[in-house]
Amino acid sequence: MEYNSKTYRNYEDFKPQLESIGKYGYIFITTMMVIILWGVYALYKQLTIGQVETGMRDYVIWGIYDANFIFFIGISYAGALISGILHLLRVEWRHPILRMAETITVVSTMIGPSYIFLSMGRLERVWHILVYGRIQSPIVWDVFAISTYLIGSFIFLYLACVRDLAFMRDHPVGIAKWRNKVYKFLSANYQDTPKQRELLNRLIDLISIVIIPLAILVHSVLAWIFGMTLRPGWHSTIFAPYFVLAAIYSGTGVLILVMFAFRKLYHLEAHITKNHFTYLGILLMILGALYGYFTFSEYLTNWYGSVKWDMEVLHRLFDTSTYWWWFFFSAFIGVLLPIVIIALPRLRSINTIVFAALVAVTALWVKRYLIIIPTLETPLLPLHDLRPEFASYSPSWVEWSATAMGIALWLLLFFLFSKFLPIVPVVRVPTADERDYFKLRKQAKERILRRMIRKTRKEKNVVAGILILLFMTAAMAGHAQDPLRSRLKLEFLNKSGSHTLTAKLTSKKDDQTVPLEGMEISFFVQGAKDKVQLGKASTDEAGKAAFTLPDKLDVPRNKEGKYLYSATYAGSKEYQGSESSAEIMDVFMKITFSQKDSTRLINLFAVEINQKGDSVPIEGPTAIFYVPRTFSSLKIGEQPVKGGHADLDFPVTLPGDSAGNLPIVARFEDNDKYGNAEVSATMAWGKKLPPMVIVKRGLGDTNAPLWMVYTLIVLLSLVWFHFTYAIFTIFRIKHIGNKALKEGKSQTASH
Amino acid sequence: MKDDNSSRRKFLKLGLAAGATALIGGGGKVLSAVSNPEKVSKETGEKVKLLSPDGSLVEVDKGHCHACPATGKEARQGMPNKKMVMVIDLARCRNARKCLEGCQSMHHLPQDIQWIKFFLLRDSKDTSPYWFPKPCFQCNNPPCVKVCPVGATFKRTDGIVLIDNDRCIGCKFCMAACPYSSRVFNWGKPEQAALPEGKKYSPETSWPQKVGTVGKCDFCPDMVRQGKLPSCVTSCPNGVYFYGDKNEDTVTNGTETVRFSELVQQRSAYRYMEELGTEPGVNYLPPVNRLFDYKVGFQDLKPEEIDLYKKEANISE
Repeated sequence: MEYNSKTYRNYEDFKPQLESIGKYGYIFITTMMVIILWGVYALYKQLTIGQVETGMRDYVIWGIYDANFIFFIGISYAGALISGILHLLRVEWRHPILRMAETITVVSTMIGPSYIFLSMGRLERVWHILVYGRIQSPIVWDVFAISTYLIGSFIFLYLACVRDLAFMRDHPVGIAKWRNKVYKFLSANYQDTPKQRELLNRLIDLISIVIIPLAILVHSVLAWIFGMTLRPGWHSTIFAPYFVLAAIYSGTGVLILVMFAFRKLYHLEAHITKNHFTYLGILLMILGALYGYFTFSEYLTNWYGSVKWDMEVLHRLFDTSTYWWWFFFSAFIGVLLPIVIIALPRLRSINTIVFAALVAVTALWVKRYLIIIPTLETPLLPLHDLRPEFASYSPSWVEWSATAMGIALWLLLFFLFSKFLPIVPVVRVPTADERDYFKLRKQAKERILRRMIRKTRKEKNVVAGILILLFMTAAMAGHAQDPLRSRLKLEFLNKSGSHTLTAKLTSKKDDQTVPLEGMEISFFVQGAKDKVQLGKASTDEAGKAAFTLPDKLDVPRNKEGKYLYSATYAGSKEYQGSESSAEIMDVFMKITFSQKDSTRLINLFAVEINQKGDSVPIEGPTAIFYVPRTFSSLKIGEQPVKGGHADLDFPVTLPGDSAGNLPIVARFEDNDKYGNAEVSATMAWGKKLPPMVIVKRGLGDTNAPLWMVYTLIVLLSLVWFHFTYAIFTIFRIKHIGNKALKEGKSQTASH
Repeated sequence: MKDDNSSRRKFLKLGLAAGATALIGGGGKVLSAVSNPEKVSKETGEKVKLLSPDGSLVEVDKGHCHACPATGKEARQGMPNKKMVMVIDLARCRNARKCLEGCQSMHHLPQDIQWIKFFLLRDSKDTSPYWFPKPCFQCNNPPCVKVCPVGATFKRTDGIVLIDNDRCIGCKFCMAACPYSSRVFNWGKPEQAALPEGKKYSPETSWPQKVGTVGKCDFCPDMVRQGKLPSCVTSCPNGVYFYGDKNEDTVTNGTETVRFSELVQQRSAYRYMEELGTEPGVNYLPPVNRLFDYKVGFQDLKPEEIDLYKKEANISE
């Protein structure tokens, strides 16, 4: 394969960077590794102890992890959108900066989502999303969107690297063997045959087209995580485009910073010229203006509408004691300063443009912080918590360490990539003016010389860490008490002919009545002479002991036709003994139902049993009617019993079961003569309970609404179809290259 | 239009049939759990009330009680033919906080995990402040359930929103989505009694809480299954909380049992911030003809907490 002289000249500029890492390179790598290891330690603490190690608490549930997440996904726009658009528009000056932009995308998309993992309380359960994933949740949208985006940006970066990889394969001078193998493997037999060239160009165009809407969707979905909630400052319709704009703005800023850094580091003045800074600066200015417009529109709408909670968030942003200076920096300085610097030609230089980009990027990180924290500090109900760490958020050392770790990792990956492939494409780098190129290249070489002279200083690195753990123990001790007075209450219940004695044992402790559990109660009935013991029972957690009487008692009734029941509690070390008694006359009750015209009645019939055992209709006491319910009985009315009868209207408006069955209970309560006596009967005159309506495929259900499923499938298959096509085409390019190689060999052989 | 109706009817029938089989299936599990001799720890002779598959109460031996709270798929379905509701009478609340104590002891929660929160609200500067106890509202259109990525929090047919903290990944999206700040997060390992041996975790008991997952008021379905009232209801000294089944049109605070429809209609009940479209399952009775002055609620509070409440309610004295 043949390359023109320009390519060789470009390569010469990059050869030193590719062949050695250099002393400062090693220092840089070591420093970054130390920061990363420190971050790993911090994360170890968080993962083993819990998120109590972070500054997040019940109100501010998301912190700088999530700000970092949005920030990194935001700067990934540099590659996806900017290089995609510049490529499709065939902008002349795009070539030297394309690879940097695309690398930003890949590296940021790799690091960004890890922050969402860090903000999860149960990282080890992340696979639950795959097993139990609900399509209705914006987090699941995000999982689909970001993973697709990451694959897409890898493909995009790779396609733009194929030509350089082929060049590196063909020029293996001074590079380790394993690297040559990697180049050879990745270069896909690219021989620049007309067919290969055509396929590759078409593929880059295609992925540029796919990556643009994909990138927009990714950041929209991210915005919807916030937008879908009912929170002031989040629940906004313009949130998705607002996020997209902020993302391109910060992406362009980071691209300018990266260009500047590599220009200085590798002396690429000949490749990255002032024009690049000016053009991207102007783009930055336009995006800044648009971003400012969105910001103004968002806050103006909130302020004008002056909904209570929106105003609370605004007050927080404009209050000097809370977020005003941060807000001033992100919404005023971060927008106006870059615009002013770049708009005035007199102020416009490489350094000022880089400064403007730095301001924009920092402002955008602060902006992400201000999106998350003030809103979370403004719940709809008052934020009521005495614990200061719950009332307001400040990131802990763990969170700062993890943030530093992300940035260090980002820089390290970028640096290592620039050691693997020229950070500026060497094949087909167009330079507008040849004379300028040589002049700039000479200046760059002089600069390298001067810098090498300066590089004799020594530097020191000090890393220190302090760890303190405190343990606290507390002991509780109880103390003995004198025996307390206990109280026993005996109740008699005649439930549809089954007679039960219930005794409730309580005591007073600190002026409060408490039930005594697990105490033995003895039950008696008065015989002709002495008390006859009926049986024993122990009290439950409510202090109640129940004893069911036998069908027939072997003792005679007294003169009034009553039995005298009693219960005793013998007492214990802690409680004194007590007793209680009740005189009860037997009754017989029955409920029937009757209907006359439209009135439906409950008819109670009740008789008492006298000394001889005869039935006598009851006269006088009030019968209370109930409907038994899950927890208690609902009273529906009361009637005095006259001549053994009491009638009540049936509660036809009360719901029964699905057939309308409604149980009715009639009772005499705490009656002097009868104690508690009740009888029940069921009638299907209640309201019929309508069958349960089970809604399926709602937003809150397990399965998603069908339109959501279809939309997701269509979107994903559209994108993945193109990705699959791209991978297939790469293999095709490889195959063509193979064939061309064989033909070339046979040709040389025939010569 | 006609076709539409008939197809919808068919769909409903299908749904009902499916629902019925599901219920029978689920019910069978309850019974099998009760009757399975291997699972029986020991017969105690004491009886407890249980909710049978057809929705009526049956008595079983207390030894079977570990079968009471549902686990697994059944815990996600809900108790058949029930629709739990709560009515909170603001006229009776004096911020005694006994409900919170009851809740914490019933759920074995440490002091710093509070599922019931207390606010001193004031609707305007012209009106008097009132105490506002707030459990989870068990919304019928719950924003928290919508956003959960793994279905760890779910809405059941009995109206209860529960959390399966074996499934929760701790993303806290539900906490961001809940407009009522009803959810709390276990930032560290909760200092809590461990589950007794042999007992299985059930989302219905919310016990134990697990580090890195979300917790909240669960409306105590395990108590309902035993025919018992939640602890907040029974421990309130003033009968503020009324709890019951809307399908029975009955609510009770432990001492008074009233018709739900009459109570909410006659006392002009409202649901807090209903305009958010969440359709809460908790109704509030407005604080008219109050039993207590709001200042009574300050008596057990620390001075700094009183200051905080005064600040929130715009009280300047």
